[in-house]
Amino acid sequence: MRELATIRFIGIRMSRDFITMLLLLVVPIILITVFSIILGEVEGHTGTPIRDETVVLLVLGFQLFGGAITMNYVHQDLFAERKDRLLSLPMNTRLYGFTIMLAGIVYSIVLGMILIAYTTIVFDVNWGNFIWALLVITLMSSLSSIVCLVFTFSVKNFKIAERLSEVYGVGMILLAGMFFPMPDNALINTFNDYVNPLMLAYSSIDQVRDGGLSDGFLYAVLLSVIIIIAFGLLLLTGRRRMP
Amino acid sequence: MSLLIDARTLHTKGNLIGMVKRMTIASIKGIVKRYKDQIALDYVDLDIHEGEVLGLLGPNGAGKTTLIQCLMGIIPFDKGAIHLFGEEGAVFNHVNKKKMGLVTQEITVFEELTAKENLEFFAGVYGLKGEEKKQRVKEALEFVGLSSKAKQSPNKFSGGMKRRLNIACALTHRPKLLIMDEPTVGIDPQSRNHILDAVRKLKEQGTTILYTTHYMEEVQSIATRVVIVDQGQVISEGTVDELIKNIQHEEKIFIDVNDVSTIPIERLQGLEGVKQVQVSGSVVQIISNAGAGNLDRALSIVKETSGVVGIQAEKPNLEDVFLTLTGKQLRDGEDDPS
Ligand SMILES: Nc1ncnc2c1ncn2[C@@H]1O[C@H](COP(=O)(O)OP(=O)(O)O)[C@@H](O)[C@H]1O
Ligand SMILES: [Mg+2]
Repeated sequence: MRELATIRFIGIRMSRDFITMLLLLVVPIILITVFSIILGEVEGHTGTPIRDETVVLLVLGFQLFGGAITMNYVHQDLFAERKDRLLSLPMNTRLYGFTIMLAGIVYSIVLGMILIAYTTIVFDVNWGNFIWALLVITLMSSLSSIVCLVFTFSVKNFKIAERLSEVYGVGMILLAGMFFPMPDNALINTFNDYVNPLMLAYSSIDQVRDGGLSDGFLYAVLLSVIIIIAFGLLLLTGRRRMP
Repeated sequence: MSLLIDARTLHTKGNLIGMVKRMTIASIKGIVKRYKDQIALDYVDLDIHEGEVLGLLGPNGAGKTTLIQCLMGIIPFDKGAIHLFGEEGAVFNHVNKKKMGLVTQEITVFEELTAKENLEFFAGVYGLKGEEKKQRVKEALEFVGLSSKAKQSPNKFSGGMKRRLNIACALTHRPKLLIMDEPTVGIDPQSRNHILDAVRKLKEQGTTILYTTHYMEEVQSIATRVVIVDQGQVISEGTVDELIKNIQHEEKIFIDVNDVSTIPIERLQGLEGVKQVQVSGSVVQIISNAGAGNLDRALSIVKETSGVVGIQAEKPNLEDVFLTLTGKQLRDGEDDPS
């Protein structure tokens, strides 16, 4: 269990990683602030203020990128410059990799919580049930770290793995129609309804916010199924590549 | 040069007597490691005895790091066997890894952690706890002279300070076998001396050390035994004195000339007993069997075509051992580290 105990130091490292902090905390805060001011109190056709929709989507959207720090640390410590040193230590490297993943997930959850607090306190954004929102953030954060690691393990070149993880994040955001509306295509609609983690997460929070508990629960279950599938891929690819 | 060797002779003899009948801590037998079309290790045999500072000397690309990676179980190898601490069978287990410490060639400390936190990380992984861990971290910081920098992050450190922290990270658990892979590359002379002193102190405390370098001065000053590697092969081993004695039947003649281009190299090479002729700058360097009396003959050949500015004959050192064995320089074009 010495491996798991290293989470303290991995956490300290992540908390001092200012570039990541800038990208995953400062940038969303700026975007949220700008959007909230522009959108004001305008109500959408569903009755929910457009601001609430946009801000919740933004916060969830940034969760798609949270796994970047996990893949970065796994790469640095187990595949690149620090590999020899960490492999010389009396510890199980797979368990250590898993510990990095846990730390990365917690890190992204904490950033998500800070954003939820900020949007609630400053802009009075309605997140519905906080516990539920936290659960959904946890699912999103876990999925992102797992997906990023699958990329890390499945391509040899880490730069390409990083690009793929960006394609994953940006792709889901585009398909969700956050920047511009997607064409009304059956395939895209089905993807957004059943697969796109960003839409599943948003729908889950949205449903619970509007009192549709069972639908909200169903979306979370769908998201969990995707996580389980991704985790299976992680075990498969990790077994092959982990030192 | 001769002064240095004499001082070494005394030093080494003292150690030699103590070394007799010591246990073999690590034994490498017939290791082969291939990278695609390249052979990085070519049937390497190597024993490391308890209490010695074994200098692994070889130029860049000789296979030193690869050998260490095999020894620590970091990479698999294609052939051969490794035994650690006199055990047969599964050697790269946690029990054995706890008895070893690796100072990597690259600086592999965590930049986001302070010096102290770095040491706490490694001490923790090695299973140290509580008061003992605290004490060992403190000792390690003192040992490498970084106590006053404990709370600073290594990204503010000089190259030498980073190297010292890199070493300290492998010390908190007091390894029986410490493996140091080129620990002094690219640092100032002061840090370098600090590190060499540290190695001597660790040896006095009974730590067995495998020290790789391509600086022969370091090996001459700290190693009790030397293994010379080149192109994945062990080409010679012994104490510094033994290695030099093996080539003592040679002498080296340097003739500084006015016009190098006119020197008839082939004629010099053709002299009886001459093993090698090299030209570097304006100096013609001749390695010849000792006592062959080639100084006179070489000089007269050179004088036929060029003026002579200076002449010198030198006792061999480890650099010459390497040159004799491989026909090339240990360091090509690199500056002297000191
Ligand atoms: N991962 C690798 N892939 C391919 N070749 C390698 C790898 N690691 C080392 N080599 C080759 O093996 C040889 C020995 O390298 P190395 O052990 O690093 O030498 P040294 O440490 O003595 O400088 C070199 O020619 C190097 O190019
Ligand atoms: Mg090397």
